[in-house]
Amino acid sequence: MTGPIDLLLDPEALNGCVQCGLCLPHCPTYRVTGEEALSPRGRIKLMREVQDHGAPVTKDVLRSFETCVQCRGCESACPSAVPFGHLIEQTRASLVREGISRSALMRIALKALEFPRLLRLGTAFLSIANRMKLIPKQLGLPARLPVRQPAIPSTGQDVFLFTGCVMDAWQRDVHAAGARVLEAAGFGVTPTNELVPCCGALHAHAGLSDDARRLAEKAIRGLSGDDRPILVDSAGCGASMKDFGRMLDTEEAKAFSERVFDIGEWLANHLDRLPEVAPLDLSVAIQDPCHLRHVQRVHETTRAALSPFVSTLIELDDDGLCCGAGGAFMVLEPAMAGSIRDRKCASIERSGADVIASANPGCSMHLADAGVKMMHPMELIDRAIAAARA
Amino acid sequence: MLRDLRRALSRERVRYGAADRTLFAHDASVFEGGLSGPICFPESTAEVQDIMRIAMQHERSVVPRGAGTGLTGGAIPLGAPIVVAMTKMDTILEVDIANGVAWVEPGVVNLDLTRSLSELGFNFAPDPSSQQVCTIGGNVANNAGGPHCLAYGVTDAHVLAIEVVLSSGDVVTLGSVRGESLGLDLRGAFVGSEGTLGIATKIAVRLSKNPPAVRTLLLSFSSMRDAAQTVSDVVAAGIVPAAMEVMDREITNAVENYVGAGYPRDAAAVLLAEVEGLEGGVEIDSQRIVEVAQSNNAKSIHRAESEAERALLWKGRKTAFGAIAQIKPDYYLHDSVVPRSKLADVLESIYEIGARHDLMVMNVFHAGDGNLHPILLYDGRIAGELERVHAAGAEIVRACLAVGGVLSGEHGIGVEKQPYMEEQFSSDDLDHQERLRRSFDPMCRVNPGKVLPEGHSCADIQALRSIPTGVWG
Amino acid sequence: MTRAELAPTDPVLHSFAAELGDRGLVSIAGRGTRWSAGGEIAPGVQILRAPTGIVEVSPAEMTVRVRAGTLVADLNDALAEVGQRSALPERGGTVGGAIAVGEDHLDVLGRGRVRDSVLQVRYVSAEGKIISAGGAVVKNVSGFNLPKLITGSLGTLGAIAEVVLRTNPKPSMSQWLVSCDADPQLSFNTLYRPSCVLWDGSRTWVHLEGHAVDVAAEFDGLRHVGKFEPADSPPELPAHRWALTPRDAASMTSVEGGDFVASIGVGTLWADRPQAATPIDAALNVVHQRAKSLFDPTGRLNPGRAV
Ligand SMILES: Cc1cc2nc3c(=O)[nH]c(=O)nc-3n(C[C@H](O)[C@H](O)[C@H](O)COP(=O)(O)OP(=O)(O)OC[C@H]3O[C@@H](n4cnc5c(N)ncnc54)[C@H](O)[C@@H]3O)c2cc1C
Ligand code: SF4
Ligand code: SF4
Repeated sequence: MTGPIDLLLDPEALNGCVQCGLCLPHCPTYRVTGEEALSPRGRIKLMREVQDHGAPVTKDVLRSFETCVQCRGCESACPSAVPFGHLIEQTRASLVREGISRSALMRIALKALEFPRLLRLGTAFLSIANRMKLIPKQLGLPARLPVRQPAIPSTGQDVFLFTGCVMDAWQRDVHAAGARVLEAAGFGVTPTNELVPCCGALHAHAGLSDDARRLAEKAIRGLSGDDRPILVDSAGCGASMKDFGRMLDTEEAKAFSERVFDIGEWLANHLDRLPEVAPLDLSVAIQDPCHLRHVQRVHETTRAALSPFVSTLIELDDDGLCCGAGGAFMVLEPAMAGSIRDRKCASIERSGADVIASANPGCSMHLADAGVKMMHPMELIDRAIAAARA
Repeated sequence: MLRDLRRALSRERVRYGAADRTLFAHDASVFEGGLSGPICFPESTAEVQDIMRIAMQHERSVVPRGAGTGLTGGAIPLGAPIVVAMTKMDTILEVDIANGVAWVEPGVVNLDLTRSLSELGFNFAPDPSSQQVCTIGGNVANNAGGPHCLAYGVTDAHVLAIEVVLSSGDVVTLGSVRGESLGLDLRGAFVGSEGTLGIATKIAVRLSKNPPAVRTLLLSFSSMRDAAQTVSDVVAAGIVPAAMEVMDREITNAVENYVGAGYPRDAAAVLLAEVEGLEGGVEIDSQRIVEVAQSNNAKSIHRAESEAERALLWKGRKTAFGAIAQIKPDYYLHDSVVPRSKLADVLESIYEIGARHDLMVMNVFHAGDGNLHPILLYDGRIAGELERVHAAGAEIVRACLAVGGVLSGEHGIGVEKQPYMEEQFSSDDLDHQERLRRSFDPMCRVNPGKVLPEGHSCADIQALRSIPTGVWG
Repeated sequence: MTRAELAPTDPVLHSFAAELGDRGLVSIAGRGTRWSAGGEIAPGVQILRAPTGIVEVSPAEMTVRVRAGTLVADLNDALAEVGQRSALPERGGTVGGAIAVGEDHLDVLGRGRVRDSVLQVRYVSAEGKIISAGGAVVKNVSGFNLPKLITGSLGTLGAIAEVVLRTNPKPSMSQWLVSCDADPQLSFNTLYRPSCVLWDGSRTWVHLEGHAVDVAAEFDGLRHVGKFEPADSPPELPAHRWALTPRDAASMTSVEGGDFVASIGVGTLWADRPQAATPIDAALNVVHQRAKSLFDPTGRLNPGRAV
């Protein structure tokens, strides 16, 4: 319970909601609970109550805001274009400012993301601890973390490959595959490594807007003096970097955001440069990462890039509903993340696919933990090219 | 009472926090002034019975609720009743092809049902524009229609049997999946009763075969009159298309901003017509529709070329209400039905009434049924706007009734349209409607204060509404 | 509009209401085609006839306003003239009688249910008042659905005076087919929208209606199911109507003590003897009784008859 709080939300954005409810079925937390408070319409209504009517932020209100996966499925479903993603980020930022959100605690945890080496070291440690079953299961750590992986070599000056924080520590093999595919298309790759330690996406989602801005500025500085495209193989990071322009509202940031492409998006525009090889004999279903589908809205390009390389592409039948990973969500709300994942797994089961392709590391880890065979689209393309060469 | 409810259900499934009570005091309508008591999320018929009995012991009323997309406030609690949210009862229990029915729980989402049937070659015919979110229970309670109800009939024609928990706590099955049921059609009386006769806990819906052929025509006109006349002429020519939907220029543009389906932005009215059936007949009928449109000066005629284009056109039509906030933050919607041959005239008066009250009016409607949805736009933050909306609305309703129309085609009466009931029905008529209601629920414990106006509703509406709505109670 | 204007102005309805009055036992007779439905009328009851006449046929609206005493046959003739038809069964009776009983046409799959076709009912109440229920347009959810309650109520809740029915365009072609070797359920499943599929234990009849091309296409599709030949008409129907699940109706091979005809996909079955009665559920009966006592507190409408 608190006194009145100004959430500092844009009144126009808040008023844009006509309470029609068309977004409800696209919201994973509503889908698994059927509860209005855990729906986009309910969350917006509560934001209004807090901001416009001085309603206190009770435990229930906090639960409503904190259980949002920030998948933004509601946003692409909303015919009135309510910018839900910005509303919830701002809400969380205001709650952090008021010191009533657990995001304050997360700040400490997220600090580690800024130090890649530390993160890798920590990962190796976690991995061993995890294998020794020292880490409680409800923490939702992926079952097998890598102990050590070779660094991505620089092969040229055509494009940057964004390596980031957690992903570089946990899924460096995806970067390696992406780099090889880019090389096969004739692009020399410069990994960003220490130039950009972290894009700040998780900070922004948690409402740590100061940290998010600081990291964004750092990233822009790290890759400045250059106009090479920045390719990203993690949908969440890509979405966040494409948003730097809006968040910082500077010319420099806007120019930076213009340079950011999802790696699939980039390849879909350069399909003619990829070698023609026999497709892998696999039926692959695409699991669209929310930040690719609902935020960047370039999920179709994954299909375009991947389809020449596998024999069958299957669509899942759930309209791109979130898988429940949501960055830190799977760690913070493991039970909810699990029920959301169950829905996704049921859809995957119905599809009958051999492999699920996801362009986001969080989704991959989350689903792999439920026993789903996951691969990044770049790994599939890489494998098809390698098979042809062998 | 809270303790009893929690013992019967579980702690988590009975909510009484301020946040939940605020949320459940609203639905998709503009009505303010709801006041919610505890909110229950039952998971079985037995739990609904428990809730009903506990309510009776404590002399409380109950309000069933689906997805809360109702547009007239049907699910809005008045006087702090127990809200019974049916969204957790969302299982498709049985698809029985041999008998042509599916048994579903009321919380099943309309589109989810149709999707799961589609692999088997069937669908649930009523397709309200809100079908991606609204529940079958809500559809039954409101006798929902949809674009494709022109040829196949509204929800009523597709519901064979309903398991209902009555206000006494007893469970009955209304209707039957056996043949045609003779005798009092209590099933038919329940459909469209807006949650006032009991709580539906299980529904047997009829399976409709998917059509082998579909043609979708997008026709545009330089005047609303031509579009309306085309609709009327098509039916007069003996053609019953699966759907005929009209949108005016303003709403078409809002929709197009969202979907980018290729709707012409410059036409005064667009008509989306769909013909379904066997290949040969579909070709003949769509050709005849084109001819009728041409004779009414159609500006452009386009056939959807792919399933993807067709889907996008429908997505546009079906999200129209949601897209309105692009233009103004609030809207008030009417739902009158007029004889098709009067469509053109009535539409003209509607625009005229809007202009006279200095309000923006838009129209997007199920033209084939003569079911208008005049939308009055306003900004609730501006003093006096809502009053003008109500004044214009009353005139629109009268204009529709004057040509032999009715108040509501599919959204129901709820709390928003109650005062207008007296414009359509005499006091004796309303008295008989109340008798029907009391046959099921003599004490008016289920969804009190709805549908019938003051003086006929067995509950005292003023009393229900005057309870202060201390927001975070 | 004032409330006084809402009452129907047709003097014919008013004189019917006056005739019925507000006291004394009364019953409305149609043509007596289903006179025994629901039990025999008690002795000493005044028998009245409902007013007759077709008030307005509106093919462009697909509706007709007709008084309850009109013969279904006369109604159908008038509709045929403007290319329309109704959902009422042609058993020789009156419109009001057909609605009070609520039985569907044999072609219910093509014409729709009687219950769904009654858009508006004007009936005289036990108090002798004219009540309007429903509306004269094809789609209406304004208030409680009294027309549904009145349809099939065997005149026990009110005396039907006038109705507005939804009509349908008459199809350009109609063709009955019969086969001695086709499986009835398979025939039904194969067709997209037959108007009727019947089965008598050895033969299957199919009624196809619509555009000539569609009828031909459906006929053609049946080739894989059995050898169908054109027939002039459906078979004779035995007198008693049963309600079965569609599955049971389709799997029926014989009915003890005589012939039967089953409607596939619908579940109605006609046999030479009545179906064993199923007892009405006690909780449901409470609703029935309450309805009767609210609509007809003194029990003057159709005494002796129960739904
Ligand atoms: C964008 C939009 C488009 C729409 N388009 C259409 C349309 O094309 N056609 C149309 O007909 N409607 C339309 N509607 C209105 C609305 O979606 C329908 O009335 C729908 O049937 C309501 O379903 P719901 O689950 O949301 O019910 P709710 O709004 O939750 O409840 C509606 C009524 O049903 C009762 N109820 C709910 N569940 C039960 C139950 N289990 N037992 C008894 N009573 C119950 C409630 O008490 C209430 O009176 C639209 C609404 C929106 C927002
Ligand atoms: S966010 Fe958009 S889709 Fe959701 S209720 Fe509001 S207006 Fe409707
Ligand atoms: S962002 Fe995702 S989880 Fe949050 S309200 Fe929107 S749809 Fe629901």
